[in-house]
Amino acid sequence: MDETFDCIIVGGGIAGLSAALTLARADARFLLIERGEWSGAKNVSGGVLWGHDLARLVPNYWEEEDAGWDRFVNHRRLTFMDDGASFSLDFKSDHLNATPYVGVTVLRSRFDAWLAGKVQEAIDQSTAADESILATDILVREVIQEDGRVVGIRAGDDAFYADCVILAEGVNNLLTRQVGLQTDYVPAEGLAVGVKEVIRFDRTVLEDRFQLNGRSGMTNEYVGYASGGVEGGGFLYTNLDSVSIGLVLGMADLRRAGLKPYDLLNQFKTHPAVADTIRGGEVLEYSAKVVSTGDMRVMPREVYADGVLIAGEAANLVLNAGRAIQGMDYAMRSGILAAETVLEAKGAGNFSAAFLQHYRAALDNSYVMQDLRGFQQAVQVLHNPAMFTAVPRMVCDFGREFFTVDNQPTRKAYQILRDVRKEHMSYWDLVKLGSRAARAL
Amino acid sequence: MPTILSTVVVQSGKSTRASFEVLTRCRQIADAQGWDLAAVILAPDAAAFADDAALYGAKTVYAVSHPLFESPLNTPVVDALAAVIEQVQPAVVAFPSSEGVKDVLGALAVRTGAAVLADVAEFDVKDGGVEALRPVMAAKFMARTRAEGSPVFVSVRSGSTPAEEAPVDADVQPVAFDAGTTAQTLREVAAATVGGAVDLSEALVVVAAGRGVKDDEAKRLVDELAAVTGAAIGASRAVVETGMFPATAQIGQTGKVVSPDLYFAVGISGAVQHVAGMTNSRIIVAINKDPDAPIFDVATYGLVGDLYTILPALIAELKKANAAA
Amino acid sequence: MKFCVCIKQVPDVSAPIQIRGGELVMDAGRMVLNAYDASAVEEALVLTDAHGGEVDVVLIGPERAAETVRKALAMGAARGTHLVVPDDAELDSSAVSELLARHFEGHDYDVIATGKQAQDTDAGLAGGMLAERLGLPYATNAVGLAVEDGTLVVTRQGDAGQEIIALPTPCLVTCSNDMNDPRIPNLKGIMAAKKKVIETKPVEGLPAASVRVLRYEPMPTREPGQTIDGEPAEQAAEIVRRLHEASVI
Ligand SMILES: Cc1cc2nc3c(=O)[nH]c(=O)nc-3n(C[C@H](O)[C@H](O)[C@H](O)COP(=O)(O)OP(=O)(O)OC[C@H]3O[C@@H](n4cnc5c(N)ncnc54)[C@H](O)[C@@H]3O)c2cc1C
Ligand SMILES: Cc1cc2nc3c(=O)[nH]c(=O)nc-3n(C[C@H](O)[C@H](O)[C@H](O)COP(=O)(O)OP(=O)(O)OC[C@H]3O[C@@H](n4cnc5c(N)ncnc54)[C@H](O)[C@@H]3O)c2cc1C
Ligand SMILES: Nc1ncnc2c1ncn2[C@@H]1O[C@H](COP(=O)(O)O)[C@@H](O)[C@H]1O
Repeated sequence: MDETFDCIIVGGGIAGLSAALTLARADARFLLIERGEWSGAKNVSGGVLWGHDLARLVPNYWEEEDAGWDRFVNHRRLTFMDDGASFSLDFKSDHLNATPYVGVTVLRSRFDAWLAGKVQEAIDQSTAADESILATDILVREVIQEDGRVVGIRAGDDAFYADCVILAEGVNNLLTRQVGLQTDYVPAEGLAVGVKEVIRFDRTVLEDRFQLNGRSGMTNEYVGYASGGVEGGGFLYTNLDSVSIGLVLGMADLRRAGLKPYDLLNQFKTHPAVADTIRGGEVLEYSAKVVSTGDMRVMPREVYADGVLIAGEAANLVLNAGRAIQGMDYAMRSGILAAETVLEAKGAGNFSAAFLQHYRAALDNSYVMQDLRGFQQAVQVLHNPAMFTAVPRMVCDFGREFFTVDNQPTRKAYQILRDVRKEHMSYWDLVKLGSRAARAL
Repeated sequence: MPTILSTVVVQSGKSTRASFEVLTRCRQIADAQGWDLAAVILAPDAAAFADDAALYGAKTVYAVSHPLFESPLNTPVVDALAAVIEQVQPAVVAFPSSEGVKDVLGALAVRTGAAVLADVAEFDVKDGGVEALRPVMAAKFMARTRAEGSPVFVSVRSGSTPAEEAPVDADVQPVAFDAGTTAQTLREVAAATVGGAVDLSEALVVVAAGRGVKDDEAKRLVDELAAVTGAAIGASRAVVETGMFPATAQIGQTGKVVSPDLYFAVGISGAVQHVAGMTNSRIIVAINKDPDAPIFDVATYGLVGDLYTILPALIAELKKANAAA
Repeated sequence: MKFCVCIKQVPDVSAPIQIRGGELVMDAGRMVLNAYDASAVEEALVLTDAHGGEVDVVLIGPERAAETVRKALAMGAARGTHLVVPDDAELDSSAVSELLARHFEGHDYDVIATGKQAQDTDAGLAGGMLAERLGLPYATNAVGLAVEDGTLVVTRQGDAGQEIIALPTPCLVTCSNDMNDPRIPNLKGIMAAKKKVIETKPVEGLPAASVRVLRYEPMPTREPGQTIDGEPAEQAAEIVRRLHEASVI
């Protein structure tokens, strides 16, 4: 039995499911293969899904009773910390309460399972209801290539064929390397280690502590002490009745410092600014995962070839430019675009690289590549040690003096600034960094 | 006056300790409720065990004797118990949760129209019904469960109530039973070769082996530890699967529930399904080279290290102690 | 031989589960085929492969349990029946066996197989109850099955050892997961399952459950343990001393 599909999707994460949903809506015959027992089983991670693409895929998802998302973001905070103090930029705005939301927090095990449900619904309503399949608990070991073009996949001792394959396998892009689009070795400079815990609270406690209202939620990014001098930063997101808290740490720098991510996370959790927010919580799960930093130098050589398209983090479509980690949104958009390209190709009966490069063009014209290109400098700036050492300390020292009233003659802010600056870095370094950052962000 | 009927299970020629635990609990309830406590015994020569029941307070003992009760076929057991229940009309019937009992409980309940609380850790009579704590979700949680009906059946996990003697002189009532024909035929009974002197579910000391027990060398150490402590040998599923230990030795959700005074977990990680069968043990000693093994969460004493070096030292020390005693 | 296996969808007990207000809270996603039932399906498939025949499955559960029927079909079962009950239906083993008995009135199978127990409730009753309702000879806790012209030979795990019992068909057997390692459906199985029919029937007249869960509670916690460090010899001496104090040796 070797029936051929219009498309085979490897990976039932966000990219894969978004592609599948797009294909199902267009009555395409496809096979999606996920190695986890169900979509989400292998995705302990989570975070904020930014942008409006979810509303495109699942219109009015916010009206659904128990949709897979947790909270919409209307409150954001960026915190600089040294070992004793923290200094935050805090932004809350009611324009963020309007639907479609600009960001929702998600727990992947729930979210992916829910999205997979949507895909199944779409399949059942499509004309290919009996032919399209979501297959879980199956690992794709091999991409089948015949004279240079991808024609199918092998799982166990079964082979399956399709006009085209979408690889949405995430960061451990084995198959992407198999088809020669990614070099076997991605330099550690291009990768970060994400460590994360999900900590549970009673919903009311959580909502009081973080001033949440109904389904509203907040995100907090941390720089400085958070990462214990290692390149990277911390984050805290509020879910329905838990918070996701974690660190994203430059792999190369981590190795150099010889530190363990988990130890750094525990240290981070003991910082007064953090400890007070997670007090009394119950740790539900811990997870560590590699994530790409968004350094374009580690992107695959190309995101398409004869009969194959790469979507999501398999193509290193991730950006970590200090404001937020973005990857799920890119995964979603790239999944949609890949699927749309497959549909065009099907119409044209042409799955050659020449045709599939429409996908690359679509990506380039989308915010995905424009962000990635636009923020390359930001990514570089983040590599600058000052950003996670001197700068946060400086900010905190400023805060220390500025906010301390101690019956001494009070100095003007600019005097304080000048002095703390002197203490931490040369004027020129700061100016250079500052202007680069300004340009980059 | 309502009757609470407690089942005494006879195994390899003696009443089981678990039966006395259940009898004890039933006596406490009978006293509290002012009910009658009766016992039922099925055995080739049931009357011979009536004294056991009396020793734990059964005022009436229904003795059903038949050679068939030697064999593990369930039909005669269901028929006989149904007949006794028909005659006695008890409000509650309690059983020790043995394999033999599990084999008949469901069918008997339907036959007699009973409501069943299976495999409970704890039970009591409350406003006209029976309430029990049942381990569920591989013993991750307790379910407080209520059954109403007449009668209500309760099967009780071993180790839930310490057996206390409360001798009475019982009125022993032989119950005539003529076995109808049964469709089942017994081919053979392969008594398990567990090693270890004692029957697992009865043992006061258990030495349980897991995947850490890799080879004959390790198995020999386990046997020796069992020998010096007079223990029965148990096993995790992992080593039952490999055939190194018989399925009879398996402890846990699929296997037996044990509640000895002393439980040695040797090279066992402590998966929920295993722990489900041994958390009732009074003292748990875990020997495992992985300090993070979940077994240490339930262990009274944890020995982190290699069983190949710890067991010999332990055995030597125990021998010294025995010699001294 | 014609087999029918009764299968249940249960929560994955290894998934994170908490108690809130006496209720169990778990990820809706993580529901699985009861491991004991999976072994029953596996064994039935092996036997029918060897001796001819077919395996059907029947499940009582809410809408979403259909995926579990699909799983059994993907393993190789021929036909599936899904008796649909409301999400919040309270079914104890007795109610389940009553509904199953109703279902089996219309069919004639040589062997009805169930799991020895449901992984979530660990009741282990429905099998025997069903056998009694249908007036079938039965055996429980099977660790091995064989077919010999018209009879089912059951190796069961008893208290003292293993017992080999021959049952004339039709009969019922409850299966332990020690019997085999159930196959994980492969892609071909999953695709084939897609084309198999699941007969879906809403259940009319739910039998009243005679057993109700009032609330869930955490396990009684044990005394926090202590690790005994040192060289093996020291560890041994110390532990033996303590076990003596506790007079368990
Ligand atoms: C700690 C941490 C925090 C993050 N926070 C955020 C955040 O706040 N916001 C954000 O937008 N992004 C965040 N990200 C990034 C985001 O998680 C990823 O970019 C995103 O998950 C990529 O989606 P994907 O579908 O491409 O890959 P994945 O979500 O990884 O999905 C890949 C899927 O393919 C399956 N698979 C892989 N190989 C095979 C195979 N051979 N056969 C079958 N199946 C296979 C996997 O099981 C998996 O389900 C974070 C990442 C980390 C590590
Ligand atoms: C439905 C169901 C029912 C089940 N029922 C049961 C049941 O009744 N009973 C049961 O036991 N399991 C049961 N299981 C299986 C259970 O989930 C585990 O797989 C099993 O208990 C693992 O056995 P183990 O701890 O011996 O092996 P492992 O989990 O492999 O643990 C081996 C341990 O030995 C340690 N070790 C290795 N070498 C050494 C050494 N040299 N010195 C010291 N320590 C060492 C390791 O650190 C490890 O912790 C069931 C599973 C399911 C799904
Ligand atoms: N809802 C159900 N649908 C079908 N079969 C069931 C159901 N519940 C229990 N069973 C069967 O009965 C066996 C024992 O269940 P229990 O008595 O609940 O432990 C299970 O292993 C199944 O084979």
